[in-house]
Amino acid sequence: MSKIKATGLALCAALSVTLLSPAVVMADTVRMWTFLNPAGTSPREVALAQIIKDFESANPDIDIVVEPQVWDQMTPKFLAAHGNRSAPDIIWVVTDFLGDAIQSGSLADLNELFINKWSEEKKADFKDAYWNLTSVQGKQYGLFASRNYIALMYRPDLFANAGIKPEDIKTWDDLKAVAQKLTVKDSGNKVTRYGFSAAYSEQQADPHPVIPHILASGEPLFTTEGKANFASDAGVKGMQFFTGMVKDGISPSQAATWTVDDLFEQFASDRIAMVQGSAVRVSTLQGKLGKDKVALMSWPGAVAGKPSPSVMAGWSVGIWSGSKVKASAAKFMDFMMSDPGDKIWTAVGGQIPGKKSTLKELENFISQPGNGYLAVAARGAAEAGWLTPIDFSVGGYRQALNRATQQIIVDGKDVKAALKEAEEHFNRQNGR
Amino acid sequence: MTSRSTGLLYIVPAFSALALVLFSPVFYGFWFSLHRIRYGTASEFIGLGNYTQLLSDPGMAATFGRTAIHTAVSVALTVAISLAIALWVHRLPPNRGSIVQMIVIIPWITSTVVATLLFKWVFISDIGMAMSILRMFGLPDLQLLSDPNSAMGLLIAVSVWKRLGYALIILLAGLKSIPEDYEEAASLDGAGPWDIFRLIILPLLKTPLLLIVIVLTLSNINTVESPLVLTGGGPGSATRILAIDVFDRAFVNYDLGSATSLALIMFLGNVLLVLAYVRLSKWKV
Repeated sequence: MSKIKATGLALCAALSVTLLSPAVVMADTVRMWTFLNPAGTSPREVALAQIIKDFESANPDIDIVVEPQVWDQMTPKFLAAHGNRSAPDIIWVVTDFLGDAIQSGSLADLNELFINKWSEEKKADFKDAYWNLTSVQGKQYGLFASRNYIALMYRPDLFANAGIKPEDIKTWDDLKAVAQKLTVKDSGNKVTRYGFSAAYSEQQADPHPVIPHILASGEPLFTTEGKANFASDAGVKGMQFFTGMVKDGISPSQAATWTVDDLFEQFASDRIAMVQGSAVRVSTLQGKLGKDKVALMSWPGAVAGKPSPSVMAGWSVGIWSGSKVKASAAKFMDFMMSDPGDKIWTAVGGQIPGKKSTLKELENFISQPGNGYLAVAARGAAEAGWLTPIDFSVGGYRQALNRATQQIIVDGKDVKAALKEAEEHFNRQNGR
Repeated sequence: MTSRSTGLLYIVPAFSALALVLFSPVFYGFWFSLHRIRYGTASEFIGLGNYTQLLSDPGMAATFGRTAIHTAVSVALTVAISLAIALWVHRLPPNRGSIVQMIVIIPWITSTVVATLLFKWVFISDIGMAMSILRMFGLPDLQLLSDPNSAMGLLIAVSVWKRLGYALIILLAGLKSIPEDYEEAASLDGAGPWDIFRLIILPLLKTPLLLIVIVLTLSNINTVESPLVLTGGGPGSATRILAIDVFDRAFVNYDLGSATSLALIMFLGNVLLVLAYVRLSKWKV
């Protein structure tokens, strides 16, 4: 009996020492969902890996565990996980579902967690349209780690060979004329290179290029009640423009089923000279093709000298309101958005800087050959950017417009009828 | 305590664990589908509201129709081709038979996403190998994914290519279990190859054939990876089958109410198919 008693006492003593000892510090594990894999080799993935490494070196008591997700399913999955109380501590939210994420109460107020400790200068350095989008009734629900400016990506080498300058594209008609000039056929009249294309699959869909057309006319894409407004005169005219290029053989009909990944494969294979592309993809493509072979310009305008508004989709990073390690998650977010973090995102990741001071400090870097897209995107975002509204959910609007395009290209459906159907589909899916 | 109740007592823990793992998601899903879903959580009780909204969708009937066509044609082709290959391989010398089996089985053991991507890159992409060969011979490019009929045809082709290996293995096992004496006796009685196949082999393959038909039907109804990677449901809605519709409703439009309702309707269909299998497997020829 005394032997059992002694063993029990020894165990209790050992447990007390273990629990009370200040030397034993349990590391906080912070789970983060993002589409970037820190083990990957693309510039943005390398940048994220470096930020995590630097943070963990400075904070050995916090482990950042990245669980990479498929980008177009990540935010809905997060919202479902929030419902089940099993969401990750840090989440990257796409702009399309930002309204849902904020209204669901799934995101914590970053002001309380760390922004209130910032100086007014530091806040002012960040404040822009993206900041305002995530700032609701005095609370800050996210900070954009990835600002995406979706515009016209082109091959400068092919432009130079054809004697074309980017400045030649001032209006939509110019774009068509240049695309026509860049379209190449072989001796059998078969197209070996198309002038322009976008990707029109419903999977991994980027915002449709008809949107700049609609917005340039002054028409809204959604009504104030959140209903789709695709079939306006500007929408019909814009859709006729893009599907007309397919009919004219300047754009490929295969694009009806292409995802953005398919599109960039074609672009990288010299099969297309200009594509709808996002600023965040430029560095990755430059890594494959060379810095002198990928560049970005704003969409042309209805009239020369006034570029059409471009969609500024992006990724807002937030902290899950149900997280048990909010303080550690906040510490990492603060680090990721710090001066060194922003510089890594820009110089290593090839992203548009989040802070005005970074843009200024990296002036020399941005003016280097091949980095001009950063200035185009930063200027475009400030002067001609459009962010999806957050007052209502807009999930599925990209797919609805792409489906309409497929029906026009493949089934020969009337443009107005296809856009009307897309409106009805979007409204039905969103219960409006 | 009777031996019967003792036996029941032994299986209670295992059965409870099984029920919890297998059936609790179904019951939770059903309860979930009876509510209005806001931001991933069930709010107000709306009865069958999600189901009526789903069935009033003008595109729903066509989606069911496309699923039926895709499943029926895929299963019929897979069974017919695998049966022909199995009969051929069964008569080959063991070494050559093994080589054929390995070739047919490779797509089955490969991940669906990887196999579909390979199929797409090699045979369909206009920067792929097949198109390069066509161009080399001056032939026109085939835009198979841009045409609604050929897109569905391709989806069926991928399904057959992917699942042929599974059907072949089951049928070969069935063929090997038929005693050689039966065929010899029939030959001595003057039966020709067609009679032997029709009157001896086919009836004795009833159980493996039924198993294949049910498993392939379930697998084709529930497949989401191939259409997602190959066509994305397009062009238009040409390859939008039930599984991809559930996926899009849940993860593209974030309409979890109708996605759960449709998933449960599919689950019910799956259960009915399994019951049909159990019933038919007792059927005597």
